[in-house]
Amino acid sequence: MSADRVLQADVGIVGAGPAGMAAANVLAAAGLRVVVLDEGHRAGGQIFRQLPVGSHNAGAIAEPPSHHHGHALLATFDQSRVTLRCGASVWDARPGRLWFEQDGASWLLRCRHIVLAPGAYDRCIPFPGWTLPGVLTAGALQVMVRGFGIVPGKRAIVAGSGPLLLPTVTALLSAGVHVVAALEASSRWRALRALPGVLGNGARLSEAFWYARQLLKAGVRLRWGWTIFGCEGDGRVQRAIIGKVDRSGRPRRETAQTVDVDVVGAGFGLVPSIELGLHLGCTSRWHEGGAGHALVVDAEQRTSVENVFAAGEICGIGGAEVAMAEGHLAAHAVLHAVRGTAVPVAVRKKARRERGAADAMLRAFAPLPGLHELAQADTVVCRCEDVTLATAQAAAALYGSSLRAIKVGCRAGMGPCQARICGPSLQALAGREPTRAMDLPVVQVPLKAVRSETIVNAPPA
Amino acid sequence: MTNTRIPGLGERPPVEFTFASRSVVAQAGDSIAMALWATCDLTLRQSSRDGAPRGVLCNMGICYECLVVVDGVTVRACTTLVRAGMHVELGGKP
Repeated sequence: MSADRVLQADVGIVGAGPAGMAAANVLAAAGLRVVVLDEGHRAGGQIFRQLPVGSHNAGAIAEPPSHHHGHALLATFDQSRVTLRCGASVWDARPGRLWFEQDGASWLLRCRHIVLAPGAYDRCIPFPGWTLPGVLTAGALQVMVRGFGIVPGKRAIVAGSGPLLLPTVTALLSAGVHVVAALEASSRWRALRALPGVLGNGARLSEAFWYARQLLKAGVRLRWGWTIFGCEGDGRVQRAIIGKVDRSGRPRRETAQTVDVDVVGAGFGLVPSIELGLHLGCTSRWHEGGAGHALVVDAEQRTSVENVFAAGEICGIGGAEVAMAEGHLAAHAVLHAVRGTAVPVAVRKKARRERGAADAMLRAFAPLPGLHELAQADTVVCRCEDVTLATAQAAAALYGSSLRAIKVGCRAGMGPCQARICGPSLQALAGREPTRAMDLPVVQVPLKAVRSETIVNAPPA
Repeated sequence: MTNTRIPGLGERPPVEFTFASRSVVAQAGDSIAMALWATCDLTLRQSSRDGAPRGVLCNMGICYECLVVVDGVTVRACTTLVRAGMHVELGGKP
């Protein structure tokens, strides 16, 4: 029954965001057979999310100037000969092979070359009440508004750190939500470190001005050095406790105040989605500024594994501009491998320039270690397994503070998200000095929780 | 409470399904999670040990907090699109 569920392509691309689409467009134009796998329901990724077919944004939802790149990319992508498989979860891989589940069916993609462009997801830092319905990641709120046209609520708080708080606020404003407060944990002075990266880059500068104007127009002031201390409510979030943090992010409890809200968006930066790369055997490195692991690539986006390339957030958080430039470059590197054509110098330079600007930004908003003091003893840190901070700390004291030891000691990180949510903060929470590099995530098949039939019926390699 | 959609984006065809034995009218192309958000059904499952209410967290298929049971199969409500006649129940243990 699995015989017909095999696809063949020259290149398999994981992710239909800016990096994946940029790569696909170049490769398809060169005449290669390209299959793109994405978990979403339309191309675009998180940043260029499209509304469902049948809905159109004719200005109702405000878009920053950079989004015209997204529209151009999508237009080319839609007209290209690329095969896009939506709703596809890649759960196993080896060089030249990608196994995925789509609509409950088990598929195999055979492809000589693989380009990894899976993007990133929100970094969560637990705080009391963050498990209440109505408390979401910053990214989740953007998906709700820009991807589905749904109004998140009436009164919202956005809290966290980094440039992504701004699109979250503007998405909420577009949906008519009253943004009660926008809280950036970093201090204004620390954020100045991002300036060199912004000033030297016209696109980033005009983007920053656009957001500043949107917030000004709506009367929303970004509060620097503030964050969310906790949420309360009966069955759903009804109140948020907010306050100031010190320079290391430690909550200054004496400044706490309570505000009525019905929705909360929290995002403390992004974590590269490297699981598939690790499973394929690609070398990774600890990315100091981003406080996360990222894949190592050479000057032309090759990973350490032959015929596996990577572009965008998986190589370190950088945003759409970096992703598009690197996707473009990765495609040329694939063409070089297939046909021996030279990689254009301008393409390589562009990717390097964008990455440099992004790294400066990342350092300015690196996660503040003191934010790990927001969680209380009874705060759930691993949501899949209902493990509290006290239990995780006890496990670390008993078995050691490696990710694996904490996991074995208290089941934290053993649920279906495979520690994607709790993993990035688990070690810092459980007592290890937070400045140290955290352990690499433990990656195992299935990389995504798929149906057991999918695994049993998997087409042979 | 209903009608929590941003105006001016164009209405899509209606799709009717049930959630916890109650009828819900969504629009084609909605995910289950977003269709239920529009009808103010925020709780999608009970947590594994404490039975605490849980709902959408990441909305992009990462966290598995929005697991629901559709016609007997556990799926992520945020990555599964609505289908006419589907029976959606609260998810249990992940």
